[in-house]
Amino acid sequence: MPTSVPGTPGHRGVSGDRIEVRALTKSYPGSDRPALAGLDLEVPRRRFVSLIGPSGCGKSTLLRVLAGLTSPDEGTVDLFGSGPRALCRAKAVGLVPQTPALLPWATVRRNVALPGRVNRRAGRGTDTVDELLEGVGLAHAARSYPHQLSGGMRQRVAIARAFALRPELLLMDEPFSALDEFTRESLQLQLLDLWQQRSTTVVFVTHSVQEAVALSDTVVVMAPGKVHRTVPVDLPRPRGTSAVTGPDARTIADTVRAHLRQAWDGGAAEPEPEPTGAR
Amino acid sequence: MSTTEHSPSPAAHDARPPRRRTRVPAWLHPRTWAPTAVLVALLAVAWQAVAREHPYILPELGEVGRTLVEEPSLFLENAWTTLFTALIGVLMGAGGAFVLALLMSELDVVRRALMPIAVVLNVTPVVAITPALVVAFGFGMAPKVVVTALITFFPVLINVTTGLRSVPGPVLDVFRTLHASRLEVLLRVRLPSSLPYTLAALRVVLPLSIVGAVVAEFVAAGSAGGLGTMIRNSAATARLDLVYAAIACLAAMGVTMLALVTALERRLLFWHESQQDPAR
Repeated sequence: MPTSVPGTPGHRGVSGDRIEVRALTKSYPGSDRPALAGLDLEVPRRRFVSLIGPSGCGKSTLLRVLAGLTSPDEGTVDLFGSGPRALCRAKAVGLVPQTPALLPWATVRRNVALPGRVNRRAGRGTDTVDELLEGVGLAHAARSYPHQLSGGMRQRVAIARAFALRPELLLMDEPFSALDEFTRESLQLQLLDLWQQRSTTVVFVTHSVQEAVALSDTVVVMAPGKVHRTVPVDLPRPRGTSAVTGPDARTIADTVRAHLRQAWDGGAAEPEPEPTGAR
Repeated sequence: MSTTEHSPSPAAHDARPPRRRTRVPAWLHPRTWAPTAVLVALLAVAWQAVAREHPYILPELGEVGRTLVEEPSLFLENAWTTLFTALIGVLMGAGGAFVLALLMSELDVVRRALMPIAVVLNVTPVVAITPALVVAFGFGMAPKVVVTALITFFPVLINVTTGLRSVPGPVLDVFRTLHASRLEVLLRVRLPSSLPYTLAALRVVLPLSIVGAVVAEFVAAGSAGGLGTMIRNSAATARLDLVYAAIACLAAMGVTMLALVTALERRLLFWHESQQDPAR
């Protein structure tokens, strides 16, 4: 029986201490190969896990299954003792899509406050909008509209909105892919700050090895339809610029790249050093 | 001669008070109105030339103007009759189409049932069924309102249905992860998203409602008032000045309606890309 983690905010339907995905299979009509082919994954609570892999390997499909947006053909998904839909019903899931997906007619403040206004019957409190905006450096833009903001600022609003409910699980689908490198690095630091303050479990899809290493506790390298290898990122936290650009980070990044090449070539993964998944 | 005598020194340049540029509204700039003004002037000259040669085809512009000025109450009363018919018709047609579009966007079975009927209704010439409507609804305002409602129904139905279905997928994904109800998605996302489409439909159907009302006044026997009736009766008695004065009133009504929709768009769609400065 899953054990509840003491000291965590009580969320209805949240009692387990990990995400467990077993034998997940998903095929799309008209596609000759499955998006997910018997995928197994474990993510302990409050970890920051990045999914990285070649295009079309099923990263986004896995994220959509975790978000309850797509139903798997086979397999089980256990999110801290709940199913994806139950966790969404309890408003314990935050989603940051690739595009910020803001409401263009609403101010920044109203966009960030949106999760609190929707599905009130879930009875879930929200963080103070002002604090969140302060956290992402947008306190001055609270009354602005999305069309008045840059791409990086819009994505920061989307991140603040996702954190508004203090979600148990935060799913991020390449949120920084459309941003320039400077903005991307700045947003990575802000994301880490918010995550460390709130101890949310994050599953982060990215194509950037540097980004995955800089942010994560574990990098999950995916081959088409399955997990190819998990790479632990043993860098100290909080991570400053020197930690994520130092020799240790470079070594981990090289390891991830080597596994990515293997996954790309369809090569077999070497035996895992640890028996578990994304620890 | 040295060149420095002619060019102001940087210091002198800096000493000048900063020149305040007053921004002229775009519509006041000659670049905006001059081409149209020139074209209108040319058309007026051509009109006058034809009117002098063929007074039984075109009245002189001055004559039309005088008619308008001398009998304003006649035109105001008839314009109000036509406008009232148009507004009631558009309220029924566009309002009904809006409600049906909501149902169609939420219930696929309603969409599948109604869309073919709506398409058939759209391709059927409404003028052709006006006599039948007079038989059904009697003389007076009712058949005209129905004609106007039928004419304005389809553009609103199609546009609003498209608008309600045009919400970006990632926005819906965010709402689904929040487990928002269908009503919440409708009120917080779908309806605001459909606003540009709804206003675009209004831009089409408001002037079209006047066309519908006038056509109905032409066709429906027993019309006691309205600019359409006035045009029909004046043409029969060769009062071309009245005909063209009534047409000018109809054009003014159409332009006013368009201006109102444009003002509404500016007010409500400040966030939409159609209202953004392309130079930004």
